[in-house]
Amino acid sequence: MRSDNRPPLILTAGAIAGLLFLHLPILLIFLYAFTTDERTYQFPPPGLTTQWFAVAWNRADIWPPLYLSLRVAALSTVMALILGTLCAAAMARSRFFGRDQISLLIILPIALPGIITGMSLRSAFSIMDVPFSTWTILMGHATFCIVIVFNNAVARFRRLSGSIVEASLDLGANGFQTFRHVILPNLGSALLAGGMLAFALSFDEVIVTTFTAGQQSTLPIWMLNELVRPRQRPVTNVVAIVVFVTTFVPILIAYYLTRGGSETAGGGK
Amino acid sequence: MTTAVEFLNVSRHFGSIRAVDGVTLNIAEGTFFAMLGPSGSGKTTCLRLISGFEQPTGGQIRIFGQDCIDVPPNRRNVNTVFQDYALFPHMNVRDNVAYGLMVKGVDKRTRLSRADELLALVKLDHHGSRKPGELSGGQRQRVALARALINEPRVLLLDEPLGALDLKLREAMQDELKALQQRLGITFVFVTHDQGEALSMADQVAVFSEGQIAQIGTPAEIYEKPRTRFVADFVGSSNVLSAEMAAGFGGAARPASLRPEAVRIVEEGACVRGRVQALRYLGSGTRVIVAVPGGELSVFVTKGLPVPAQGAEVGLNWDAQAMHPMEQG
Repeated sequence: MRSDNRPPLILTAGAIAGLLFLHLPILLIFLYAFTTDERTYQFPPPGLTTQWFAVAWNRADIWPPLYLSLRVAALSTVMALILGTLCAAAMARSRFFGRDQISLLIILPIALPGIITGMSLRSAFSIMDVPFSTWTILMGHATFCIVIVFNNAVARFRRLSGSIVEASLDLGANGFQTFRHVILPNLGSALLAGGMLAFALSFDEVIVTTFTAGQQSTLPIWMLNELVRPRQRPVTNVVAIVVFVTTFVPILIAYYLTRGGSETAGGGK
Repeated sequence: MTTAVEFLNVSRHFGSIRAVDGVTLNIAEGTFFAMLGPSGSGKTTCLRLISGFEQPTGGQIRIFGQDCIDVPPNRRNVNTVFQDYALFPHMNVRDNVAYGLMVKGVDKRTRLSRADELLALVKLDHHGSRKPGELSGGQRQRVALARALINEPRVLLLDEPLGALDLKLREAMQDELKALQQRLGITFVFVTHDQGEALSMADQVAVFSEGQIAQIGTPAEIYEKPRTRFVADFVGSSNVLSAEMAAGFGGAARPASLRPEAVRIVEEGACVRGRVQALRYLGSGTRVIVAVPGGELSVFVTKGLPVPAQGAEVGLNWDAQAMHPMEQG
């Protein structure tokens, strides 16, 4: 079919300009990881080199933040998978008074600005005398990671015919067999997608982490600090590439897993 | 004859809603039992009481003599064909059918060959490797049937299984289900809101109204001798005569049902005379609506007999016993 109603040229140009504005800076970040100039980001770069990858590899101060970020992201993903799925199961299967309100409360953390979540958690921790640690970061991240998993799982639960659980019981399966053979396989890709997004979000989170981290720094916070002082600047760009790959690949996979159908993958953040 | 399912004054109330209210019934082993009624009449709740997905708030339920109030659905020797088929979307047809054996721990070869036998029984031999999403409505229906039969249930429950099929397929499936039930000899409990389906397939029909059984009997009893006005209205296009009309036509002063095919158009000796209001050609005959004092009567004129013209005045007559007195209500 020929499309007769082409958009006006100016709209097309605007759209292209918008996309370039969004994505060119990312390419520049990649480019400066290879520059020979270590203090300023002058354009064009005076020369290209791959030495910064080696420098970054040998910098001892990169590794602890990287490990911390990976650990926090992995643990908050696991936590979100368990709690988010249970929440979704409860919301999808039963009708009770206040169900919609509770559902809204679960989703709220993702709509709240991170700075508010961070401030409230920080004051809560200090009132309760909870020392800042990996666990406080984890709890901060779980607030939005749960939402991601919840949104994905609840959409899948809604699409599943409720009677397949009954059919399984009817055919003689017990609760565990029903979960293992019927619920989990149908929920699987939604959980995988939700989990990957949660991981990606947690891995590059800055705001909530700043308020809940105490003395430790995660990789994004390390980068933020590093940008301030002009020493071996391209190392930051090398780390940026690593962060980009670690978060972009899961998001891409999540997108393909939930493509088609009315499923929410991102859910807004 | 053994009783397969027995309800003793069974109730299921949801708060103030009496979904099932004091139902007593006996389903004999090997019968094709239909639960007929409009939506919300309690027939599906009754089925779920048998399968164990609902618990009664009062009364007793026995399956083959065994009280089954505390028996969970997965331990009852009954299986269900669900209204929406409830096939497992991630499994292929063979694995769907074999599911009941898999959860029992039957080894893969045995259970798959058994699944193939059942697929052959429902004439789906070559569809085993497909996913439910690739099948038509009628084929899914057959898979659901095969899956429910693999555990060799003594009672098979069918919840409006033909509701989602188009008319032609539904009729074909009616014949097949009936034949299958006779061949297997197991008890079928069939929920439907389609009176034609219930009458043509069942050995026994229970007509439900507002959580209670309005009448229980063979299709012929239900059709010819409806006990209440509700049954007469719901089961067929019967003439329902008010008490005054019935008395006027020489019957008892009680509401009565009168089958359209029992009414004859006559020249002389008419019980009542009236004017032809409308004609509806039905293929096997013509339905003639005649306005009579106090209401109208529907008359079925068999093909071959003369059909009066619209607006003509005709005399009507019927045998006294064709008028069946009913209870109020």
